[in-house]
Amino acid sequence: MIVKPTRRNVLGLMAVLGASLVIVSAGALALGGVHLRLGEVWSGLLGADLHSEVSIIVRQIRLPRIILAALVGAALAVSGTVLQALLRNPLADPYVLGVSSGAALGAIIALWVGGRLAAASPLMAFGGALVTIAWVYLLGRRGGRLASYTLLLAGVITASFLSAIILFILTLLSTRDVRGIAFWLMGDLSVVTDVQLRILGPAVALAIGAIYFFAKDLNVLLLGEQEAAYLGVNVARVEASTFLLASFLTGMAVSVSGAIGYLGLLVPHLGRMIVGSDHRTLLPTAALGGAIVLVISDTLARTIVSPAELPVGAVTALAGAPVFIYLLRRAAG
Amino acid sequence: MALGEKFEIGPPAGRERFPRAGKIELGTMRRVALGAFALGLIVFSSATPLFPRIITDQTGRRVDVPENPKRIISLAPSITETLYALGLGDRIVGDTEYCDYPPEARLKPHVGALLNPSLEKIVALKPDLVLGIAEANRRETADQLDRLGVPLYGLTAHSVEETLNSIEDLGKVLGRGAQAHELVAGLRRRVDAVKQEVEHAPRPKVLFVVWYRPLITAGPHTFIADAIGIAGGISISDDLAGEWPRLSLEDALHRDPDIILFPKSESFSPSLDEFQQLAGWKDFRAVKDHRMYFVPDTINRPSPRLIDAMEEVARVLHSEQKSTARGPESSR
Repeated sequence: MIVKPTRRNVLGLMAVLGASLVIVSAGALALGGVHLRLGEVWSGLLGADLHSEVSIIVRQIRLPRIILAALVGAALAVSGTVLQALLRNPLADPYVLGVSSGAALGAIIALWVGGRLAAASPLMAFGGALVTIAWVYLLGRRGGRLASYTLLLAGVITASFLSAIILFILTLLSTRDVRGIAFWLMGDLSVVTDVQLRILGPAVALAIGAIYFFAKDLNVLLLGEQEAAYLGVNVARVEASTFLLASFLTGMAVSVSGAIGYLGLLVPHLGRMIVGSDHRTLLPTAALGGAIVLVISDTLARTIVSPAELPVGAVTALAGAPVFIYLLRRAAG
Repeated sequence: MALGEKFEIGPPAGRERFPRAGKIELGTMRRVALGAFALGLIVFSSATPLFPRIITDQTGRRVDVPENPKRIISLAPSITETLYALGLGDRIVGDTEYCDYPPEARLKPHVGALLNPSLEKIVALKPDLVLGIAEANRRETADQLDRLGVPLYGLTAHSVEETLNSIEDLGKVLGRGAQAHELVAGLRRRVDAVKQEVEHAPRPKVLFVVWYRPLITAGPHTFIADAIGIAGGISISDDLAGEWPRLSLEDALHRDPDIILFPKSESFSPSLDEFQQLAGWKDFRAVKDHRMYFVPDTINRPSPRLIDAMEEVARVLHSEQKSTARGPESSR
């Protein structure tokens, strides 16, 4: 199926996906380790008594986590979409390119050093993501342009090198820190603070909005850099801007949730199957689709081994690999 | 000055107007403060009979602990055991899936595992106090409970002494100071008895096996290594860094332990014969001499039963010197 990128279609698509996200979130709000009736969820959400258990569970535990999942899902999926377009390679995603590892390393160094720095681990993760992406970007540049295969290889190697450093530091850390980091390395949404949501919300929305501004240019870039240049696209500017925006999104996401795999890889592929590869429709689809997928994944993570909880990264990896193989087979057949 | 008027809400005695914020006379200040404090005392004590206390817990967090907690959630098996030992089992409204002693602890509603308990389960059980321990729980759990306004009192136990302190401290916090004092005094007597018993005995070199593939052992600042020390052994991993260091097999062989100890549990109880065939392991002098022993796995729990395990370790380390050179579990 291919949706034509008229303004009406894009708005319609966003309305449909937005409504789906709301429905999925409502379901996620009703599910959890504690069984709540729908009426209770409703009164917990809208009731005046902020200190009742139901209200605390719905408003302070489930809702912030769902919002976090939606924001992180949208950020990772859009980031993956952009990277796949830029590198003209269906395997590109923030995880593969080492951005997630860079963020993880930043956070781990913060915990390793300890003290005040430990509290700033999200900030360090963000720094780690940006430094890594700058490094990979510089390695991948040839004569002022992005050389897509060089960049991909540079990313893969950087990712594995950073993972090696992480493993090395892990052996030196005390058990107490390792426990926290293990969850973080797998990707975990169980730790939310209001400050994180307040920063993440506008930042993700702004960055995705800014990327949408380049949607047409990304379409042209898919034809190849030469062709795009002939068609009047300022290739270097578009590449640099979207690449930085995508890294910013990944850095923000990883800094609060750890390294959640497969989402940035899988959701763009799903999106292309649904709406085609025009970025004017694909970008909003990826954003809302990523949000929906991660909200569902995290609801599973919260409920399948209840009362214990899984890290959401375990769910996305378990479900992601088979789904990806299925999509490959379907695309081939 | 309009601002001055606004400030004039002291007790009747404070008739003087406050000239400026920075120049309040000390006498007035004191009266205002006293009045406010008295007022606060009346308001608080009438509204809440359980006067909240801000206490610094063993991990250095400041916690608002109610005077006499009635609904307690324990986030570790050792804490659950200690609560029962203090006669507070009926106040536990929730514990973890690993809380298996005493047997009634299994029947309590569970809030999940040690590292990833369900926050909403905890909240739904309406606890007035949650108890955690730094050795088993995650810092993030405490942070998240803080955000939700659920007080978590944290314990820590790096040694036998700290374990005893944590039991006594817990008793004080929960209004069972006398019982806890008595319990700990009894435990201390047993610790002293063990110390006395092994005082002049030779001290065998001990390898404590936390896990054997790869070999993980107990580092120096753990209650396990400390218990082994008190029981008259020398832990061969006392110079290693970290709480649960990995030890290479060749290094362990080089350190040449006299005795190897395993915690006995349902999930892990290989026969000692297996190790005599296991590559690497069969070369240990302790394995050749059949000096491998199981000790109760309560040695993994900083609770009153840690002392039981310690006494058993002392028996194992020293019984054989009295009788024969062979271990009691040897099959020869």
